[in-house]
Amino acid sequence: MPFSRSVLGSSKLSSQSTIESVNEEMEETFCRRDFSFSLPESLLPDEKRKKGSVKEQMTQVLLKGIKDILITETDTISLLDIPPTLVSVNADDADVIIERNKQYSEVCRNRGNNEKYVERAMQTLNGATKNKQIQNNLMLMVDTATIVSAFDMYAPPEQEVMVYSPEMKQTNDTETVVDSRRSPERSLSLTSSASTVISSCSLKDVETVGSSLNTQVDFELIMTSDKFQYSLLLMERTVLRNNFQSQLAAYRKLPLLEDPDRLVKPKEGEQSEAETSCSPALQCLWVFRCELSRGCRVSSMAWNKKNPDLLAVGYGETDYRNHEQGLVCCWSIKNPTWPERIINCDSAVTTVDFSSNSPGQLAVGMSDGSIAIHNVQSADNKSPFISSRECAKRHLGPVWQLRWNQQELSFTGEEKVESLYSVGADGRICKWFVINGGLDCTDLMKLKKMNNTLRKTEQNKPEKTAECVLSVLTPGLCFDFHPSDSNIYLTGTWEGNIHKCSCSNGHQFLETYRKHFCPVNCITWCPLHPDVFLSCSSDSTIQLWKQDCINPLLSFTSNQPVAEVRWSPKHATVFGAVNEERLEIWDLNSSFLDPVIVQPAAPGLKMTSLLFASLTDCVVVGDSDGQVTAYQLQNLHVGESSQGDVIQGLLHSASPKELQETLM
Amino acid sequence: MSFLIICDLRQQEANICLATEKLKPLVQLSEKMADVEETLKRIEGHKGVIGTIIVNSEGLPIRTTLDNSTTSLYARLLRSFTTLARSAVRDVDPQNDLTFVRIRSKKQEILVAPENNYLLVVIQNPSE
Repeated sequence: MPFSRSVLGSSKLSSQSTIESVNEEMEETFCRRDFSFSLPESLLPDEKRKKGSVKEQMTQVLLKGIKDILITETDTISLLDIPPTLVSVNADDADVIIERNKQYSEVCRNRGNNEKYVERAMQTLNGATKNKQIQNNLMLMVDTATIVSAFDMYAPPEQEVMVYSPEMKQTNDTETVVDSRRSPERSLSLTSSASTVISSCSLKDVETVGSSLNTQVDFELIMTSDKFQYSLLLMERTVLRNNFQSQLAAYRKLPLLEDPDRLVKPKEGEQSEAETSCSPALQCLWVFRCELSRGCRVSSMAWNKKNPDLLAVGYGETDYRNHEQGLVCCWSIKNPTWPERIINCDSAVTTVDFSSNSPGQLAVGMSDGSIAIHNVQSADNKSPFISSRECAKRHLGPVWQLRWNQQELSFTGEEKVESLYSVGADGRICKWFVINGGLDCTDLMKLKKMNNTLRKTEQNKPEKTAECVLSVLTPGLCFDFHPSDSNIYLTGTWEGNIHKCSCSNGHQFLETYRKHFCPVNCITWCPLHPDVFLSCSSDSTIQLWKQDCINPLLSFTSNQPVAEVRWSPKHATVFGAVNEERLEIWDLNSSFLDPVIVQPAAPGLKMTSLLFASLTDCVVVGDSDGQVTAYQLQNLHVGESSQGDVIQGLLHSASPKELQETLM
Repeated sequence: MSFLIICDLRQQEANICLATEKLKPLVQLSEKMADVEETLKRIEGHKGVIGTIIVNSEGLPIRTTLDNSTTSLYARLLRSFTTLARSAVRDVDPQNDLTFVRIRSKKQEILVAPENNYLLVVIQNPSE
């Protein structure tokens, strides 16, 4: 009922829109119940006029009698009819609808390829827009940028993807504004180094979050890794190269670069220009010295055959009664302050030599007669590779010289087998080979003592004559193999004799050269001329010999017993000699009587050892305080012609009579 | 009785051998650390070296001879610099890699040995 009322009431509302009038009309319609309710609306205004008169009669009648009220129902008024799109399968027209559905789906399927159907745009009615305003929290806008380079996109398979640390999320919360300067750092990358750059942007956060324990573990891990040790090595060499740049450039014969930031002191520059003269001189480049070697006497030095920058220096007291600990240090040119390898030996070291076939092997001879072969390639190997301590036939006295020598096998002529040879104070020359992890030797030669009274005879007598004293062996002090014919070698003895021997003949000397009357300290073949050799001895003389002459061709005097003599590897007429007081460089081109350069030893020091550097014109000199000094030879005027001819010419001109007699 | 004692000793010897075997890597580690420390001290003592810094993978300096502010400044700046240098080298040839960086300025030279998990920095004044 209220439903129907509202319909009728709404028409009246349009005419009178007050609530009071609605109430009035409600009353009026209620009163009109007696009359037919289905009166059309057009009649309503008439009814309204009749209201006033009818109203009075009704109220009087109503009070007295019982009235009947008829209630009828109106037709159903449908207000909203939306037909359903779903039809039951049991309905009558279900089949028709199903058929139509099928057709439609067919059409849809064929629509793609069918030419009957064309896509076309249509204008549809746009609904009226409605504006609605709401309030919201402010959204902060943040700009980020990244730079991706080709390197970042290149991902080699072995590199791991770094998991972003949780500290990253913290940075996003705390830092809302990104500094535009930092954008290059935030490159997307797969390597760990780049990704950690992102977390380093918020260094403050990381410092508060990270614990100290992690850094300690990190520290140890980093410090003990091999890469770190290599980095340290690199760094030390770079730092030293900066310090020693001028000296190293002079050593390598590179032009000196002027440091533009160095304060130029004009006065000193002028002085130095005035002082540079053209006379041959030695310039001290640097000194190899360290704490370990202080106080030890340098007994022997050897360059590595493969790496010309590596120098092995043997330290030890040469007085073999004093059995002290020996030391061998391998120095590199690139680091004059600390040796690359330090090898402690059981007794004082007398001689060292590097092998050619296996350049990492260093043979060390000691004053107790034992020989050890060390491998210098690995830094960790503290114990010797092989030692001859257990060998029954080892030298009974100090090993005075060791040499690695390559011998050609006679039948093939190509293979070069390298063996170790040594000469010792017990008068034996031995050839060593490795057996069962130890060294064993065979005797090549026994140095028999020759009577001094035979010195003046010029005949090459075999020692099995009645006049010679054969029983005692004389200590051999030095030996040297011929540079081209590895079967021949020379050896100098305590007596002052020099014997030429052959590896194949163990009983006889091929030749004996007598001139020295004191122990022969060093013998060396000339590397540039096949037949010439030098010998030096404690009688303060240096003799130049030719292989076929019994008598020396030239002799040079020095003022002190000469400890060592060496040929220059580049200039055939230059050789160096060292005695206790001074270093002498002789140049046969300039003078036979005096050395061309004399370098006195520092006060309190005695020079003990000498070596020429192979690729440059420098010499290294060892002294009694454990220092090895590198000098550069300057202004040595040497001719450009072929070295062998130079020597030949010199020898011809030097001592014409004797020389030409023997040459013919 | 004597047999029992011998067996006991042998067992103890075996235990000691085992213990020393386990200790060997620790001993080697401490030896290595000592060597590395010595080398670092040597570098710091060379002529002209102003300071050394070791920075770990997160950018934290773990060992330094300079003061804190300078150290953190160098660590931060050189990290990004070496990353840039490395990406430059590898952009040119992806199979190449950066091994060493030297920045020569008027007053000093900064030497950096970069690796994946650390950075070794030495500052030297070479013209002293």
